[in-house]
Amino acid sequence: MADPATHKVTVANRGGRTFDVREDQTILDVCEANGVILPVACRYGGCITCAGRLVSGKVRQPKGTALNKRQSQAGYILMCVAHPKQDCVVEVGVESHGDLYQNPFSVPRK
Amino acid sequence: MADGNGKACCGPGYASPAEAITADREKLLYTVALYVGTGVEKPDYLATVDVDPDSPTYSSVIARTEMQQIGDELHHSGWNACSSCHDDASKSRRFLLMPGVRSSNINVIDTSDATNPSVHKVVSGDDIKAKTNLSGPHTVHCLGADIIISMLGDADGNGPGGFLHLNENFEIVGRWENDNAGMNYNYDFWYQPRHNMMVSSEWAAPNTFMPGFDLDDVAAGKYGQSVHFWDFNGKTISKSFDLGAEGMIPLEVRGLHDPTSNHGYFAATLSSNVFHWWKDDNGEIQLEKVIDIPTIDVEGFPVPMPSLITDILISMDDKYLYFANWLHGDLRQYDITDRSNPKMTGQVWLGGMLGKAPEVNGIKVQGAPQMIQLSLDGKRLYVTTSLFSSWDNQFYPDMKDKGAQMYLVDCDVENGGMTINPDFVVDFGKEPNGPSRCHEMRYPGGDVTSDIWI
Repeated sequence: MADPATHKVTVANRGGRTFDVREDQTILDVCEANGVILPVACRYGGCITCAGRLVSGKVRQPKGTALNKRQSQAGYILMCVAHPKQDCVVEVGVESHGDLYQNPFSVPRK
Repeated sequence: MADGNGKACCGPGYASPAEAITADREKLLYTVALYVGTGVEKPDYLATVDVDPDSPTYSSVIARTEMQQIGDELHHSGWNACSSCHDDASKSRRFLLMPGVRSSNINVIDTSDATNPSVHKVVSGDDIKAKTNLSGPHTVHCLGADIIISMLGDADGNGPGGFLHLNENFEIVGRWENDNAGMNYNYDFWYQPRHNMMVSSEWAAPNTFMPGFDLDDVAAGKYGQSVHFWDFNGKTISKSFDLGAEGMIPLEVRGLHDPTSNHGYFAATLSSNVFHWWKDDNGEIQLEKVIDIPTIDVEGFPVPMPSLITDILISMDDKYLYFANWLHGDLRQYDITDRSNPKMTGQVWLGGMLGKAPEVNGIKVQGAPQMIQLSLDGKRLYVTTSLFSSWDNQFYPDMKDKGAQMYLVDCDVENGGMTINPDFVVDFGKEPNGPSRCHEMRYPGGDVTSDIWI
């Protein structure tokens, strides 16, 4: 079987560092292997500690991640379970979390 | 070894609640401190706080014990032994177990050097998942020689979870319960073998609560609204109560300390009601709502805001009930001498979303009263302001940059009443590695939420 395809993943807010990430690797694992320390906790997509924003590109991640619809629509992905499908640019860390959290009592109910 | 009561003849703790009340004043306090969700990529740690007013380092962090990896989300903690083993001289209150809710690791901390605790062992979350199909460790109680820990999810973070059984060497024995039938979710528990009772409550599955609080999840039934009364010896649920809209998200469960009593209280956090339970003369469990905190309409908020009762405890003499309203921002004291009719006797404001006390003791409060811990004599109530990293980031987003705080509230145990102590504040915004979040607290000598007399 052919090796999985490799894509370039650029971490925009870590000095624009770019890594080759195979489709069978997670973005988080490759960042960590290259010394980029990201927030992380559960490592299975069950919490959103490692959330970051996908600025461009496409990723594959399990359907059952802990991100809700609003958070996904705002462009968030979970680095611990996200695999690149094409070249990607991501923003990582707590500084990318501006739209991740909202007070549920302060926003209109749909 | 000294175990907090100065007696060499016995095991840990105290012979009775009455003896605990007369123990020496606490001089040290342990709290978990977190970097999860702050932007500081460092492990969470145990902070040792000096609470001896005669010490030059009073009201400050004097030691920091770092965990071995980042991302635990330390939350609650519990001792390897408590007053339930007071008759056993071979036991001592030496190890503090500090689970990581997110990593599922159980960090075992050796406190034999009380002012400088160290990591003794880490029970790996991966091992726990592989051997028991459980994750999300929460409440730790000792159980004779052994330890049981409520687990909030299965290995994939789904409900209902169960209970992890460790032996005294902190090795995984397996699951404690014989059957979890009836549980929808899991959270806190309290037990009293004398009455063959255990009571457990329900938060939500880790996959639901870890990303933050969403009212759509409440509407979808993904948050708990039941409490479970267990046959403690049979390790099965004997009766469950669906509390409905009045009892949404029941969290901390506290039995009275007097082991002859079968009464206790818990708070339904989202509904912001306090319930009283007891076993009647026919052995039937009875439940009644005894306190109801109304929601408040906040200008600009389309949804009425609940007070969110997040922690509740009972004084060692079983006279006062205390609880924290984390969104409204107040801390309350109720006289529960008449068990069915609590009377409010004290209230203080600290931070909160209503803006009633934005600054206290010269520090801008991040968050609001949350975890509370009372001294054994009932006179000093310590309080921290962080709830859970992702929930903090929803309701009090500045906390991730400014850290949480610890305050001390002086309590009048004769006539009732509470006042914020003006000389004590620990600002975790000024920690050397950056601002952190402080949460549950324990004293080396035991406290009002650790010890159970059997």
